[in-house]
Amino acid sequence: MASRPDPRAGRRLLAAWLVGLFAASALRDLGLLAGAALLALLLFRHGLWRNLRRTARSVVPVTVGLSLASLAFLRLSAGAWPPLEPFAALALRAAVMGFATFSVLDRVDLLRALAPFPTLSRLLVVTLAQIHALRLVATESRDGLRSRLPRRPGALDLVRNAGGITAVLFTLAARNARDVADAMKSRGF
Amino acid sequence: MHLPDGFISPQLSLPAYAVCAPLWTWAARRHLGRSAAEALPVIGSLTALAFVIQTIMIPVPGGTSIHLVGIVLLALLYHPLVAFLCESLVLLVQALFLGAGGITVLGINALALGLVGPLAGWLAWKALRRASERAALFAAGWLAVQASTLAVVGALALQHRLDPGYFPMPPAVTLAAMMAPSLAVTGVVEGLYTVFALSLVRRARLRGVET
Repeated sequence: MASRPDPRAGRRLLAAWLVGLFAASALRDLGLLAGAALLALLLFRHGLWRNLRRTARSVVPVTVGLSLASLAFLRLSAGAWPPLEPFAALALRAAVMGFATFSVLDRVDLLRALAPFPTLSRLLVVTLAQIHALRLVATESRDGLRSRLPRRPGALDLVRNAGGITAVLFTLAARNARDVADAMKSRGF
Repeated sequence: MHLPDGFISPQLSLPAYAVCAPLWTWAARRHLGRSAAEALPVIGSLTALAFVIQTIMIPVPGGTSIHLVGIVLLALLYHPLVAFLCESLVLLVQALFLGAGGITVLGINALALGLVGPLAGWLAWKALRRASERAALFAAGWLAVQASTLAVVGALALQHRLDPGYFPMPPAVTLAAMMAPSLAVTGVVEGLYTVFALSLVRRARLRGVET
C-alpha cells in the first residue's frame, strides 16, 4: 500500500512551489530559464514523462499559437523577422511553470496540507464534493439529450439544454447546501 | 480565456493580488461573516455550480468548441461580490487541482473574469431590464464576456508596454486573437445561455434564490 504524503512536507513543498513560481515568473533571460528548466527536470524526475505530456497538452498550444500569430504579424508589419529570443523565453517560462505545477500537485495531498487553514480547507472540501455531485447530473443530462434526439445535437440544442441543466443544478445546489449546513450545525459548527 | 502562468510578471501579478486581497476579505466578511455553517455550504455549492457550468462545452463552426462561463448568472441572481468570490474559488480549484490557469495570475484572472465581467453584465442588466427583460439578459451575458476578455487583453497589453522583452506579443495580435472569437461566438452563446438559464431558474422558483 502506498504511504500517504506527510502533510508537513507537503506544506513545505507548497511554500517552495509558490516562491519558485513567482521567482520563475520574473525570469526573462533565456539562459536562466534553461537553468530553471534543468533544475525542475532534475528535481521532479518521478513522473517526468507524464507531467511533460500534461505540460505539452495544456501550455504549449496556447503559447505556440499566439507566438506564431505574433511572428507573422510582426513580419508583415515591419517587413523583417523579429528577434526570436523573447518568444522562446516566454514559451520556456510558461512550460517550466506548468511542469513544476503539475509535478508538485502530483506529490502533495492538498487537503491535508491545507488543514491549518480550516475555512479554506472546509470550503474546498464542500466545493469538491458538490462538483462531483453536480457533474454527474450534468453528464446524465447531456447523455439524455443525445439519446432523445435522432441527430447529433447542434450548438443551439446544447445551449438550450444547458439552460435546463442550470435550473436543475441550481435546485440541487440549493438543496445540497441546506443538507451540508444542517450536517455542519449538527456537528457543532 | 483566462491567463496561464508565465505570461504576466510579478510587476503586475503582485499589484493584482494587492487589489484582490481587500475585495476577497470584504466579500468573505459580507457573505461568510454570518455563521460559517450557514454561509460556507452556500458559497461552496455556488462555486461548484459555476465550475460545472464552465465544463459544459458548446461546439462551434470550424470543428472547435467553447465552454460557457455562467458567472454572470450568479451576479444577477445574488450579487457581483458573490460572483467574484465564487469565480476566485473556481480559479483556485482549477489552479490547485487541475493545474489550469495559474497561481501567479490568480489575482488578474479573478479581477478580469470574476469582477469586471460580472459587474459589467450586472450593470447592463440593471440599465436595460425595464425596456426588455430578455434583451437585458442577453446583453448582460454578451457584455460580461466582452468585458472579461477586454480586461485580460488589457493586462497583456500593459505587460507588453512595461516590458516587450518579457511578453513580446503586440497588443494588436492579442486583441484580434482574443476579441474576434469573443465578439462573434462566445459572447452570443453566453448571451443566449443567460436568457434560457435565468428564465428556467425563475420558473423553478427556487427557495433562497433572489430573482
